[in-house]
Amino acid sequence: MKALTGILFTLTVLLFLTSCQQESNNQTNGELMQGEGIEVSDAWARPGAEGRMSAAYFLISNFNSEDDVLTNVETDVAQTAEVHESYEREEGMIGMRAVPQLDVPAQSSVRFEQGGLHVMLMDLTQQLSEGDTFQLTLTFQSGDSVAVDVPVRL
Amino acid sequence: MTFSKLRSAGILLSFLLFIFLLTSCGPNRLDDYSDESFELVNQDGESVTFPDDFQGSPLVVGFIYTNCPDICSFITANVRKIYNADTYPEGTQFALITFDPERDRPDVLKSYAAAFEMDRDPFHFLTGSPDEIEKLMNRVNVRKAVSSEQTTDSGKSIYFLSHSDKILLIDSQSRLVFDYGGSMTPVDIVAEDLGKL
Repeated sequence: MKALTGILFTLTVLLFLTSCQQESNNQTNGELMQGEGIEVSDAWARPGAEGRMSAAYFLISNFNSEDDVLTNVETDVAQTAEVHESYEREEGMIGMRAVPQLDVPAQSSVRFEQGGLHVMLMDLTQQLSEGDTFQLTLTFQSGDSVAVDVPVRL
Repeated sequence: MTFSKLRSAGILLSFLLFIFLLTSCGPNRLDDYSDESFELVNQDGESVTFPDDFQGSPLVVGFIYTNCPDICSFITANVRKIYNADTYPEGTQFALITFDPERDRPDVLKSYAAAFEMDRDPFHFLTGSPDEIEKLMNRVNVRKAVSSEQTTDSGKSIYFLSHSDKILLIDSQSRLVFDYGGSMTPVDIVAEDLGKL
């Protein structure tokens, strides 16, 4: 009986510990070893009205053996495009801050997702509606530049 | 105690138990807005009194500002997805109320609604005078604070707000039934709760 209680206790502690681990934007997995250079995938963006805002999300994978840094984002559909991050402030308030340079470690991926990292598209030059697609160009410190098609959806 | 008195007591207890079961079924009410009245304006410039004009129908309501690209577009999309789930009671209304009335005037809300293909019934994008919006936000516990300002490459000055993240379900009698993290709660949970109203 004591042994069973001990096992149950250990399982409970393990379950608690794993459920409390904070999700990280940096991910490393075996698949990255099979790629090459820097890739940007799973891109999409929210609808937005002309003159207002939208946000773009994607996954950056750095297959290189050297760390890199995302230094610039450009697109024709917004006057300004910047990397920002939403975060939880005191008492449940959600805030946002600029991320001028984003580290992309070697053999790792960084996910841009809602409620976290995103490319903020400010002062849109056109309305973005579901079904539209636009191009976004990401430039890295290494000199690599990646252009990606971004579909707009809910 | 005689048998008849015992029987009467038993009937009374059964009745009380029945009443208890009836009242305990269904969601609890978290707040009651039925005595409140806020004068707002929709995306077409028409006057709307909140919550009076929605009484008689369940209401899904989110709180946003249109210069917010991430969380608020998430809330807006979630309201649209709750609508798309099509599990809501007949007549359910869907509202997005701005907490940035200085910038989010009706024409701005209209173009924002159009981008999300929500510039139509049963969607309502609402603004109002800064005083009225402040009173409403205080009443529904939505908070905001200016977090940063910057100038775009075209020279346009923009400020951003830290804010609460909230979607509410209000029943047909203007009582608050559910209070969710607007961007965080899975849409199917909200849609399921809405089906219980």
